[in-house]
Amino acid sequence: MSELRRPSARVQLAAVFRKEVRQTVRDRRMMFLLVAAPLLQTVVFGYAVDFTVDGVPAVVVDRDGTDLSRLHARRLLADGTLRRVPAEGGLAGAESALDVGSAAAAVIVPPRFGADLVAGRSPEVQVVIDGTDPNRSTVAGAAASRYFGEVAEDLARARLAAAGRTPPAQLALAPRILYNPTLESPPYMIPGIAAMLLLVVTTIVTAMGLAREREMGTLEQVLVTPIRPVVLLFGKIAPYVVIGFADLMLLVAAGAWVFGVPLRGPLAVLVVGTLLYLLTTLGVGLLISTISRTQQQSFLAGILFLLPAVLLSGVMSPVRAMPAWLQAITWVNPVRHYAEVMRSCLLRGAGFADLAVPLAALALIGGAVFALAVARFRTRLA
Amino acid sequence: MNDRLRRSLVRVGAMASKETLHVLRDPRTLALALVMPVLMLFLFGFGVSFDLDHVPVVVADADRSPASRELVRRITGSRELVSAGEADPAEADRLFRRGDAAAVLVVPAGYGAKVARRERIALQLLTDGSDVTVANQVLSKADALVRAETRRLVGVDLARVDPPLQVKLWTRYNPAGRSALFMVPGLAAYILAISAVLLTALTVAGEWERGSMEQLFASPVGRLEIVLGKLAPYLALGMLELLLVVAFGAAVFDVPVRGSFALFLLVGLFFLVGMLGQGLLISVITKNQLVATQAGTMSALLPSLLLSGMVFPIENMPAALQLLSRVVPARYLVHALRGILLKGNGLAALWPDLLALVLFAAAVLALATARFQRRLA
Repeated sequence: MSELRRPSARVQLAAVFRKEVRQTVRDRRMMFLLVAAPLLQTVVFGYAVDFTVDGVPAVVVDRDGTDLSRLHARRLLADGTLRRVPAEGGLAGAESALDVGSAAAAVIVPPRFGADLVAGRSPEVQVVIDGTDPNRSTVAGAAASRYFGEVAEDLARARLAAAGRTPPAQLALAPRILYNPTLESPPYMIPGIAAMLLLVVTTIVTAMGLAREREMGTLEQVLVTPIRPVVLLFGKIAPYVVIGFADLMLLVAAGAWVFGVPLRGPLAVLVVGTLLYLLTTLGVGLLISTISRTQQQSFLAGILFLLPAVLLSGVMSPVRAMPAWLQAITWVNPVRHYAEVMRSCLLRGAGFADLAVPLAALALIGGAVFALAVARFRTRLA
Repeated sequence: MNDRLRRSLVRVGAMASKETLHVLRDPRTLALALVMPVLMLFLFGFGVSFDLDHVPVVVADADRSPASRELVRRITGSRELVSAGEADPAEADRLFRRGDAAAVLVVPAGYGAKVARRERIALQLLTDGSDVTVANQVLSKADALVRAETRRLVGVDLARVDPPLQVKLWTRYNPAGRSALFMVPGLAAYILAISAVLLTALTVAGEWERGSMEQLFASPVGRLEIVLGKLAPYLALGMLELLLVVAFGAAVFDVPVRGSFALFLLVGLFFLVGMLGQGLLISVITKNQLVATQAGTMSALLPSLLLSGMVFPIENMPAALQLLSRVVPARYLVHALRGILLKGNGLAALWPDLLALVLFAAAVLALATARFQRRLA
């Protein structure tokens, strides 16, 4: 009897899916936000994010003014890490240039530098650095101390040779950088950005979409029809899985086209990884919608999940640079594992065997979150 | 005239108190809006750091002489690089794929003999380039360690002779190079951008969705009065968040306030007015909460993160993006806050930032009010 009244689960699912797809596709603005916006963001991100430090504005206060001091000042700036900016007024001028921010470093060559150097009296060059940006100040400081260290070493060798002794062995580091030989930022950032944007698109949109239906009461209306709550849920989520995959393909393609991001690993790894990841992101969106009453609340809750998840994922700054207790917490962060899968597969060509740990972690987190979300959703509606 | 102004102010006050009630009645939103800054500051302060130590390096020592062992001990015995075992160079790819090592140091066969013969020796360092930040740091750390080792070899010969040249580094404003000091001013801009733009956009768009906006128009309150009354409570909330961020930053991360506190408040106020105006403009245009969020994310949240110089240096961006960053108010706030908090700059150095913030606020408020009025006529 009941079989007559209630169509099969497959038919129910297809009906809800059709309705949801139609509703989403019809909303042009929504489609733009779901598909075009992530693409646009990837391109902007790809160009905007560049950790390379070069051309740090530097003033040179040459209190010696000899040929030798000018030569060293010029050679120090030759590799482009420091860029000379004009400054007047000697030490006081350099001081105010640092204060105002027109220079980020000041190289001060002491008086009698050339004469001391020739006479072997060990002159001291001072480098004052604006430490506001620690990354920049580290690189600028390293460039200065490296240059003068090299000069000192060459002089020491020359003195040994002049004294008739053989200088000791000289070690040189010959780096060979794999996967990204010129250390470009986009191939490093884009896999991480894809993880972040998928999260924005799926979690926030699901959370707010369901909260909106609750606000308007349309969820209850659908429940009057013979459709079971669980089927309704899966039908509502399915279009976002499709959109998530479409976004992934677009982002990987755009990364390859615009920024030359390689795809070295098997595509199957990406597909499985993305599926497991979407399980979590959609599950979190669902969970948020069950605990919030309004769209505003669900948006804020979404942001509250999203920001720590992105910050503690290794997408922007390395996980290894975090304190140990925070590194332990990142184990339950799906974004960390997905970014690892994406980066490793795209750049390093890693396969299933290499990525067994992050994939298993994604499956565990995804399964737990999704099961919890479905259970809560059913009790909320029942 | 004076009387009209007074009555107008009463109406603005009525709108503001109604809006305040809305905010206070929704304790969850209020809690989220106030918990978020503290949580983010905490995470940013501890979590966002680019300074690595104990980076795992695998050693492939083909020499196994006392000299090579001494070299390996000096390089991996530092706090910066640590040994993650020994392996063959051919295994580097597998190690990198699994994330077991960030680099492989190859010591060539005959290293010890070459040191004894005082030759030039190349040490190969296979580096995983897929994480650019880690790779850069590994390269510069390994380079410094190898140089130190060379200098040690020279020093043994040059015993009791002064180094021919010395260099002394002074780092100002943030001598310990702590990421938190760098992040807190940027974070203030980011948090304010999120809460100001998105909260206003959502609240006002919500009124359109529910149709209660039309009810407001039926009241004798003018358009501009509605705008001002609606924004006032969020302005207060935003200022509270700003103070919370700086207080928390000072308490937990020792972020100093070296400049004038009044200037700090002034800069924050104008930035907030601009952000609230932008939120209003978005809501007037979209009239839909879901679309308003996405529009707010695209126009305020991402630019404030990416184009403000908060994390990623503006000087490195292509010219087009640098130009675009000039219309992102967060850029001026980040610069001004770093100047005030870390460097102790005054108005003399920061007036261009303040001017830019005032201009943005005036322009966006004028635009929002104009659109608001036309929509309703």
